[in-house]
Amino acid sequence: MHFERQKLMAVTEYVAPKPAIPAVCSTPRVHAKKEENGYAKLLHRQVAEAFQDSKMIAVCQHCFTPSDEMLMMQHRLRKHNIHVKFFPNEIVRPYLSTSKYKNLLPLFVARNLMIMSPEIKVKEMLRMLKRVPQISLLGACIDDTILSSQGVVSYSKLPSLEVTQGQVVGTLSLTTSQTCALLQHGAGHLSALLDQYVKQQSGGTGEPDGQAGEGQAEPGPAFLAPFINHALHIETDGRKRVQGQVSSEVGGDSWEGPVSCLNQQTGS
Amino acid sequence: MWRGLARPLRALPTAPGDLSYTRVLIAGLKNFVIPQNYDNISIPERPKLKFIDKVPSVPKVRREFKNLRDIRGPSTEATDFTEGQYGILALGGGYLHWGHFEMIRLTINRHLDPKIMFAVWRVPAPYKPITRKSLGHRMGGGKGAIDHYVTAVKCGRLILEVGGHCEFGEVEHFLTQVAKKLPFPAKAVSRQSLEEMRQAEEERRRNNQNPWTFERIITSNMLGIRKVLSPYDLAQRGRYWGKFFLQDRV
Repeated sequence: MHFERQKLMAVTEYVAPKPAIPAVCSTPRVHAKKEENGYAKLLHRQVAEAFQDSKMIAVCQHCFTPSDEMLMMQHRLRKHNIHVKFFPNEIVRPYLSTSKYKNLLPLFVARNLMIMSPEIKVKEMLRMLKRVPQISLLGACIDDTILSSQGVVSYSKLPSLEVTQGQVVGTLSLTTSQTCALLQHGAGHLSALLDQYVKQQSGGTGEPDGQAGEGQAEPGPAFLAPFINHALHIETDGRKRVQGQVSSEVGGDSWEGPVSCLNQQTGS
Repeated sequence: MWRGLARPLRALPTAPGDLSYTRVLIAGLKNFVIPQNYDNISIPERPKLKFIDKVPSVPKVRREFKNLRDIRGPSTEATDFTEGQYGILALGGGYLHWGHFEMIRLTINRHLDPKIMFAVWRVPAPYKPITRKSLGHRMGGGKGAIDHYVTAVKCGRLILEVGGHCEFGEVEHFLTQVAKKLPFPAKAVSRQSLEEMRQAEEERRRNNQNPWTFERIITSNMLGIRKVLSPYDLAQRGRYWGKFFLQDRV
């Protein structure tokens, strides 16, 4: 190359632009937002649907279980309309943090699975989980109430709704039944005594008047004891409990007899 | 107890080469990439490269001049893609003889999967006769006899094109293998990468901070520099020097 040409080439070289503030300093470091792939969006939707549809949500730690055991467990649960769901933590955690199940966040940490059902069948679920020792219950959210594993166990031991309703009704109607009993007590007692007296009079005509008088003088417990025993054996448990309460309040076994007689009469 | 588990699991550096930071172990959701759609690409009947003759079917009688103009400067033909998606771009001028053609043909045909890929020549068969004098003789005695034929290739020309139901990553490997063996600098390109290369060149030309450009000086003949420059430099603007393409220049 001719020397002049060499000089020309050297003079006309490329000079890169050099701003006063380098681009590295002026532009903020923005991490490009990764576009969410379709599968992640689908999982988000499924999680939302699952949480909205189910009333009972149990979170369990999912250690390795042989696939056939897992399949059998899922099958047995499915018969009671309980579904076992697997979702990745990175999908579930953002959903939980924005929904009302915020307090379940600490449970979704390591490998876990969710047991969801639109009905509440805690006993069946616990039974199935007991059969598979590798899956342990961490916590549950039943009817918008967060329970620990012990809480779930005690929830399962609660009596059924009808029984508790009956108990509540019985407790509420306790006072009214008491009132009824109290009001009728005096008259009933008197009538019973009079009956006894009449019977004595009619039955004991041969006996001397003194005995009858004695019998009259002591009307109560001696004659009423067989009635009391009879009543106690016949009455149902509910009534007995009520009666027991009544007696405890009023304070005397003597009252039981006439009341039970009255109730028997009204019943028959 | 649960708060400690909420943070991602970290592994401490075990190897002596590791730096002092802890590596975070995260198992995330797998990203399923949607595969490319190749519906509009059809594979021709003969997908492999044709055999190229050593000598043209009508051999030349007249011995030709050396005519190095056919190597000099940028190419005017076969600069853009036609059928295929990927190809080899020449970044310098040179002659391809039959040995090169055979090498290219054998390598490409070996790596092609004829069911899903095809290749097409973008250079003609050797047509230019090159003469050689017999060994051991003194200068003089006329021009030598035609020894072999060659194809002239200018800078910026595509040598061959490859296409089909394949991605650049699959094809790049053997295209670069071939490109290295050519007598001039070459590289494997795809349609997109060629476009990007041209845009980058354009960008450099636009944001050049040097007020003195070769083009400016030569067109206005500053300092009478055209005395030492060739008339071809007016068109080539200092980017070409003979058969060489000066990539760093703008």
